[in-house]
Amino acid sequence: MSTDIQTLKSLDLFSAFSNEELGFLVEIIDPLKVTEGEILTQRGTPATTFFIIISGNFMVSFKNGHAFTLHEKGNVIGWSTVVTPFNYTGTATALTDGEVLTISGDELLRIVQEDAPLAQKFMEKINKVVEERSPFVTGKIAGTSETTDNSEV
Amino acid sequence: MYGLEAISANNGWAMALLGITIVFSGLAFLSFFISRLHLFLEFWENKDERIAKLKKRFQKKPEIKKEAPVVKVPDNLQEAMAQFKMLTTRIGDPFSLPRLIEMAEMSGLFHPHSTVNKFIKAGVIEPDGKGFFTWKL
Amino acid sequence: MEDLLIQFLNNTGYAMADYRHVIMIIIGCVFIYLGIAKHYEPLLLVPIGFGILIGNVPVFHGLGLSIYENNSVLHYLYMGVTLGIYPPLIFMGIGAMTDFSTMLARPVLMLLGAAAQMGIFITFLGALALGFEPKEAASIGIIGGADGPTAIFLTAKLAPDLIGPIAIAAYSYMALVPVIQPPIMKLLTSRKERLIRMEEPREVSKREKILFPIFGILLCCFLAPAALPLLGLLFLGNLLKEAVVTERLAVAARNSIIDTVTILLGLTVGASTQADVFLTGKSVGIFILGAVSFGIATASGVIFAKIMNRFLKDKINPLLGAAGVSAVPDSARVVQIVGQEEDPSNFLLMHAMAPNISGVIGSAIGAGVLWSFMM
Repeated sequence: MSTDIQTLKSLDLFSAFSNEELGFLVEIIDPLKVTEGEILTQRGTPATTFFIIISGNFMVSFKNGHAFTLHEKGNVIGWSTVVTPFNYTGTATALTDGEVLTISGDELLRIVQEDAPLAQKFMEKINKVVEERSPFVTGKIAGTSETTDNSEV
Repeated sequence: MYGLEAISANNGWAMALLGITIVFSGLAFLSFFISRLHLFLEFWENKDERIAKLKKRFQKKPEIKKEAPVVKVPDNLQEAMAQFKMLTTRIGDPFSLPRLIEMAEMSGLFHPHSTVNKFIKAGVIEPDGKGFFTWKL
Repeated sequence: MEDLLIQFLNNTGYAMADYRHVIMIIIGCVFIYLGIAKHYEPLLLVPIGFGILIGNVPVFHGLGLSIYENNSVLHYLYMGVTLGIYPPLIFMGIGAMTDFSTMLARPVLMLLGAAAQMGIFITFLGALALGFEPKEAASIGIIGGADGPTAIFLTAKLAPDLIGPIAIAAYSYMALVPVIQPPIMKLLTSRKERLIRMEEPREVSKREKILFPIFGILLCCFLAPAALPLLGLLFLGNLLKEAVVTERLAVAARNSIIDTVTILLGLTVGASTQADVFLTGKSVGIFILGAVSFGIATASGVIFAKIMNRFLKDKINPLLGAAGVSAVPDSARVVQIVGQEEDPSNFLLMHAMAPNISGVIGSAIGAGVLWSFMM
């Protein structure tokens, strides 16, 4: 079961996308219900799926015990699907019941080949997330807050 | 026949040189044509898109002002907070959030994930800016 | 009864197999393993690997079982390879699934796709020097184009006996793009160069995208008519995609047609690698030259990008040159990976698709040119 255009339109991640582009994306995005304590990504395993939060609260934890939490609609999890070495760098756990949208990594790669402008827009948004979160992966965390309330991520 | 002799005998040098020249000129020709194509097409393109872009540029996104959080622990969380605080005395403050949840699960506390989430939402637990979390009360 | 049993046992694969069959079956299993466990081009390696298993089950001749027997089912399927039918159909699918807009946005990157074709011609010389016949040398050289269908197409026309080893070599090296290319890319570039960020590509209009395949076929094929079967269908597929009104045909080309043809191509190419045909000294030479060809192609693209940077105001990341080999989209993905090792926020994937796609066009032109030289 795929999602609908209205849901995608309500997300900042897709704000710059046209209806036609969103129509293409709905075909490859599937909604998924998650329950409290459910693990979405496991650190070190192949990054096969990219998640966009629709509702619920999530924690992403790292090897050294570092963690940040995500609470806003539109927050994303699993950017490792588009970043080397294509393994999840953190473990994402649902803190509460919720709903996420899922895109498979292979589908993302297919978009890159089939629709470059669409992929470019998507990558630009993901780029922001990577820049924001890479300190957690590298362990070089600056003195900023990790609790991301910004729906842009 | 081997080596340079074989290449010369089979006219290899000429074929290789001419071959790469043709591939290069083919793609260079196509590249040049493409680079001019959009300029040429601009005569026919309508300008609606540009106007729309200009409009978009002047549209400012409303700034979202964040209010300073007021830390108030709901009554139903008081007891849970005491239990979780007890756990963090063993791992120190600031503490690792996944470690706290892990310990709460091991201790059999009720719904550790959502309880921790409630603490964060209520501002009882806050990130310390270095990947760990700290109690605010 | 006893004679019948002995006759049956003598006709089983167990009785007829020798060490060469075992070697080939192991190779087939490795292909399947790489495809399934390592995700190296699984859509190609799994059918090819299984085809190798099928082709190396020892059979007695006369029943029409072997791919090389005129009355066998596999032989009829293999005609799609030997007659050069499958590769153009795959090209049509590639055209129908590929967005050329990154290339249209920055056409100068097409030159990287041209530079990477140096590998084809240098290897052609190397193969001649090693004593291969000119037609064989041309077929071996095309491995450097990193384009399986093109390699099969040219080999079917020039050296049909070598289809098995050349196809296996071409697809093996395509699958090993993530292993072969990064060391060469790092060796030839400095950290500073790998950190170069590319400027955002301009927006490409629909009209440009529709006109491109029409002018592309005319410009390229008037220059190199022998590339017509491959480029003709590549551009047709792309026109079907971009024209919108032909979306149904584009969907068929990029899904059912390319999938069907890929299965048949992989299966029959794999099955053509029968031990007695495949395990020869020539095959070893082809594999070595193929690796060299691939390396040269990668290096040529990177070096050419560095040369271009001497003349360009807006520098290009020389890693993009490696994507000039036409293994779409794997070599572009490798560029992304190597670039991100230096700067995790540097996204080169989109930009790398431009030389990557022009590499497909370049290798098809290269194949056409070699074919015409040999006629």
